[in-house]
Amino acid sequence: GKKNEDKTWKKFQSYKGELALPPDVERLRVFVDRKAQTVILPINGFAVPFHINTIKNVSKNDEGDLTYLRINFQTPGQLAGKKEDTPFENPDATFVRSVSFRSPDGARFDNLQKQITDLKKEANKREQQRKQLAD
Amino acid sequence: MSSTQFDNIYHGLDSSVGSERGDRCPPADDIKWAQWLRVARQYQLRVGVKDHQKHHFDGFAREDHDKLVTLLKNYFSVALETKEITFRGWNWGDTDFQANDLAFLVSDRVAFELPLQNVANSNIAGRTEVSLEFSGLTTSKSVKPQGDEMVEIRFHVPGVQTKLKSGSASDN
Repeated sequence: GKKNEDKTWKKFQSYKGELALPPDVERLRVFVDRKAQTVILPINGFAVPFHINTIKNVSKNDEGDLTYLRINFQTPGQLAGKKEDTPFENPDATFVRSVSFRSPDGARFDNLQKQITDLKKEANKREQQRKQLAD
Repeated sequence: MSSTQFDNIYHGLDSSVGSERGDRCPPADDIKWAQWLRVARQYQLRVGVKDHQKHHFDGFAREDHDKLVTLLKNYFSVALETKEITFRGWNWGDTDFQANDLAFLVSDRVAFELPLQNVANSNIAGRTEVSLEFSGLTTSKSVKPQGDEMVEIRFHVPGVQTKLKSGSASDN
């Protein structure tokens, strides 16, 4: 491919407006909307979508009766050696780097980790295919 | 007074349901302003009262908007302002301190707000990272938190950083 095309930021968006939010957000739980390629996080009563392109990975750990789920996001300076993948419109902005949740329901957090990881894999695969086609 | 009543309304982040009338509602003449915004549990009515206090009521239906506009205008002489929320799904934007809240804005629209009085601990990790730890985001301790409880959020803040050393800053 041509180098000058690689640096352009490819725009993405989770939802066009509030009417597109899935009704599941009412439960104030982390929710994976596969169709919209989006993970919706309950933050202080808000339903906050994060497109899969913004997500780096997910980690989980158990402490006693509680399970912690941490969603890590893409931020500038992390993509060593992959400069062409910068998914940002504005690298000088403030970024959400990670959000952590706690729940007594470890099995559900297990499942969420798997769903988000699978969604990320699918997104990566599509991106690779897109690049191959562009060559 | 009006006989209008809205059922299945939550006060703040409580998991119990009440009605927007009576004991939980501030006295009529105290209401200074009112806002309407989309939240997880449908729509929120936010009213500002005296001494810069405010109350949040979640669980309104979209159809309640026009009824509330009329009610607030007729009985409280207050306009219902719509607060625009973003659903773009981006993790970059600007932070804005608004009274006791830290708002995260994407393209000038609110993505979420964090109540600073619930920050249990904050930390500057490295030159560009700020973490906020939360405890007890629900308003009352007797009520079990509904849903998943957020315990920490970390921000990458390039502005904190002093000038990068020349050339490569690729790792870390």
